[in-house]
Amino acid sequence: MKYQTSQFKNGLKVEMDNTPYNMVYFQFVKPGKGTAFTRTKLKNMLTGAVIERTFRTGETIQAADVETVEMEFLYLEGEDYHFMNMDTYDQISIPKSTIEEESKFLIEGSKVEILYYKSRPVNIDLPNFVEAEITICDPGIKGNTANGGSKPATISSGATVQVPLFIEQGEWIKVDTRTKEYVSRVKK
Amino acid sequence: MLKSRSFATIIRKKSQLLHQIRTWFWEQGYLEVQTPLLVFSPAMEETLESISCDGRYLHTSPEFAMKHLLAQGLCKIYQIVPCFRGEEEGRHHSKEFSMLEWYRAGIGTQDLMNESIDVIYSCAKALGVDIADFDCIPTAELLDPNLPEEEWMFRWVDEIEPNLPPSVIVYDYPKWGAALARIRGEKADRFEIYINGLEIGNAFHEELNPSVIRTRWEKGNANRIQKGKSPHPMDEDFLQDISQMPRCSGIAIGLDRLLMALLDITDIKDTHVPNRRES
Repeated sequence: MKYQTSQFKNGLKVEMDNTPYNMVYFQFVKPGKGTAFTRTKLKNMLTGAVIERTFRTGETIQAADVETVEMEFLYLEGEDYHFMNMDTYDQISIPKSTIEEESKFLIEGSKVEILYYKSRPVNIDLPNFVEAEITICDPGIKGNTANGGSKPATISSGATVQVPLFIEQGEWIKVDTRTKEYVSRVKK
Repeated sequence: MLKSRSFATIIRKKSQLLHQIRTWFWEQGYLEVQTPLLVFSPAMEETLESISCDGRYLHTSPEFAMKHLLAQGLCKIYQIVPCFRGEEEGRHHSKEFSMLEWYRAGIGTQDLMNESIDVIYSCAKALGVDIADFDCIPTAELLDPNLPEEEWMFRWVDEIEPNLPPSVIVYDYPKWGAALARIRGEKADRFEIYINGLEIGNAFHEELNPSVIRTRWEKGNANRIQKGKSPHPMDEDFLQDISQMPRCSGIAIGLDRLLMALLDITDIKDTHVPNRRES
């Protein structure tokens, strides 16, 4: 299936050079001196990189064969992350190399959107917030309050985030996966 | 953008803009004119689409009628008027928009550039905003004028427009882009004004030879027919008017876009009172 420039809209999933892109911006442009074009920004669904592309009116672009499926992260085994579709109980695995960045925020039991491209799982979309246990961090300093400085802390899934000085190893915290920032302490 | 600014503020700014424009033209001795919106021939340019209405067309600009007034001996005329264009819808395009169009006998594009900049600065001042000093760049410095038309246009939109200086006048276009402008040397004697990459205005040193315009019109119509579009009816009265016009230059400035540029508005819809059924 192909899309015409007149069908362009935000969120359209298209394919170029064997790569799926998400249309994050489009604009009809018609210079006073000539024909119409459509300017777009396309986000690579595998790497997240955004490219700009201009289309002539009437030009077409291939629709990307993509779908997303919600699954639960089960466990890490060797270099493979295992997920389960909670509706069908199908299990899949994705190698760490494919989801290097995202995997650092993968907490067992959390629900993620798996992106399939041409029927192969190629990427995951994390929940906006995850709760995780701090596995490595310097001891807290007495008397420090929420207004103090910060220090690095490593969470169980492997990511390192800046946390307030009063946070202790073994505590649970809530992290925003989009900004990779500490949000709050969680009572467990 | 608009969310943080009340709609009444936009209306108020637009009113200030209109008032400033009318003041400027009054002080310069221009006549404000009104011409028919319903016309028999909507445009000459091949790429313009019109909207038909009850056996006629809504004008795409007041150009033909204003040139009739020039041919009748009026030397300094301007108009603020809604214009209508089919198939134009987007953040910078609307089927219905406001145009400020003016013509002055006896001047070339250089003088018209100065007038245009003066008008824009006076509008910016009236609205209390600063705009950058204007650069003036011939198009040949930006893009090879010998490129085929289609490729030139594509690269203009793809590479040049997004990277123009904040306030700029680009002038001297490739010959095929003359439209209703005269050709001087190998270049079309026209210019365009851009603010922050947004095309604000389009000016011609007017061609005065009707047979030149007739030839371009016929060529454009032939291209339209080839693309399965209806030709733009040839306006014989207009061709006759051309032969009687004095040497003159004229410019059309999109007022909604000028307001967008001055107020950092990103969607032209935010300058319009909405058609409520659409919103």
